[in-house]
Amino acid sequence: MPSLAELQSAMRDTALGGDPAPLADVIVADGFRPEQRLSIHRNNTTILLTEALAATYPVIFKLVGDDFFAAVAKLYIRAHPPQSPCLFEYGATFANFLRDLPQAAELPYLGDVANLEWMWNEAFHAANAKPLTSADLVAVAPDDYDDLVLTPHPALRLVQSRYPIQDIWAANQCGVDSDGSETTIDLNEGGQNLAILRPAATVSVSELSPGGLTLAAQLAQGVRLLDAVIAAQHVEAAFEPSTPLAILISAGAFCAFGFYPHA
Amino acid sequence: MDHSAHPALHPQSPVSANGLPARAGIGLKAQHYQDILERAPDIGWLEVHSENYMCAGGPSLNWLTAMRERYPVSLHGVGMSLGTTGPLDGHHLSRLTDLERRVEAARVSEHLSWSTAANAATSSTQGGGDYLNDLIALPYTEESLDIFSSHVRQMQDALNRQVLIENPSSYLRYAHSVIAEPEFLLAVTEQTGCGVLLDVNNVYVSALNHGFDPRAYLDQIPGELVGEIHLAGHSQTHIDGRTIRIDDHGSPVSDEVWALFDYAVERIGPKPTLIEWDSNIPKLDVMLGEAAKADDILNRHRCPAITREEVRHAVAG
Repeated sequence: MPSLAELQSAMRDTALGGDPAPLADVIVADGFRPEQRLSIHRNNTTILLTEALAATYPVIFKLVGDDFFAAVAKLYIRAHPPQSPCLFEYGATFANFLRDLPQAAELPYLGDVANLEWMWNEAFHAANAKPLTSADLVAVAPDDYDDLVLTPHPALRLVQSRYPIQDIWAANQCGVDSDGSETTIDLNEGGQNLAILRPAATVSVSELSPGGLTLAAQLAQGVRLLDAVIAAQHVEAAFEPSTPLAILISAGAFCAFGFYPHA
Repeated sequence: MDHSAHPALHPQSPVSANGLPARAGIGLKAQHYQDILERAPDIGWLEVHSENYMCAGGPSLNWLTAMRERYPVSLHGVGMSLGTTGPLDGHHLSRLTDLERRVEAARVSEHLSWSTAANAATSSTQGGGDYLNDLIALPYTEESLDIFSSHVRQMQDALNRQVLIENPSSYLRYAHSVIAEPEFLLAVTEQTGCGVLLDVNNVYVSALNHGFDPRAYLDQIPGELVGEIHLAGHSQTHIDGRTIRIDDHGSPVSDEVWALFDYAVERIGPKPTLIEWDSNIPKLDVMLGEAAKADDILNRHRCPAITREEVRHAVAG
């Protein structure tokens, strides 16, 4: 008779695709073979976790279709089963899994689109906070701009890709293209840099220039505005901060401001 | 069995007294958020899977908070894995206690099952493990009883309240099980003071899968221990020409389960009763129709306001 720990770890193995033979004497047959009974639990785990992944990655699901998604999800679930019962947190490593998956090599953008979906999912579940508006910053004296430090909104996520992932993502939302028309996206049209935000109830995706993305990333780390602009100018020689700053602030990228403390 | 050691479970003060109304409620699904807030249907209460709302913020929590202003909300956990050996997941427990305070839950419940297990090849002693997203029956042994009861106590201590434990649907039994499921469940209530969430569909599914009499199972559960009832649809799968029932919550409650529900309520009286629907989710009206059906049965078995005994006292006095 196995201990409960031994039993559970053997059943875990079979639920994730392992050999049911070690459990043959433990499961009462009663009309079915023990492995048939265990296969019900294996199916539960596979099907329900595949559904959880499909809920977090609806665009990947639409891009690759039912069968391919189910096959990839099964591989992923068995290699990376959830470590938390909160399934909205499941799938953090799915983008990297897709990038490394030989079967998905013909779709090189898949990992980046999955990363966008994961960041969208994180933004959706992030803490609520009232975003800073441009009106809040009116009182800041121009002389103090250099030392401005902005607190990132809890939902702020930044995504960079060499592929036009926002176009791919937007064209493959549920309900899009239901009229049968097709959108053609040129994979060579260039990459996209995105800020994902959720100022209130709705998640938004805003495109930034390469310098704008660097600016946002620096500010999100608590770097003062002057240094963030300098970092952006390293990426984009003619970088000028007012447009990306306006995009970020109106999208709700920050929730508080202060000034860099000079010693 | 003797339940007198638990004052909270006194036969005249049902476990549901501090929680949900003895009416039908429905499982809250995201598809119905808008509809429920706009139409404010006359339902007794709502239940959610706790794990779906353990996020830091965002729209789903906002919806739940808005629902809570209109209906009592019950938190039904599917992830605590009370039957897993080793320590409970402390992080998960603290997220549950946070959520319970946030929504002022009218009830908290979990399952007589396990869902998480360590990978023996890489396991540590820190608890946790791989979450299988399944509710798997335990072998009913003294070892399981000790582990399960200690986890129920730990959960109740963390929440500082009674939880209800739901009987599982099962698809397999273990050769070394030595305790019948209802006895095991009652032993847990005795050891911990927890209540029972009686899932009538699960009793039916397990009874057909294992060939026992579902009424005999129901007869063993004392009514005063039952804080809530669950009703749901199940499906049938065929393996080698034989049928096995799967508890997938994806269809209307079957006629047989309605009959069992009627049978149970006749004996134990009206209890808060949930219509669960977790796959192939229908329009809200379909769920409200099922809830109305449950309410009809509950109402049919409701005691008159003045019992015969009280009338006799009144006449004599």
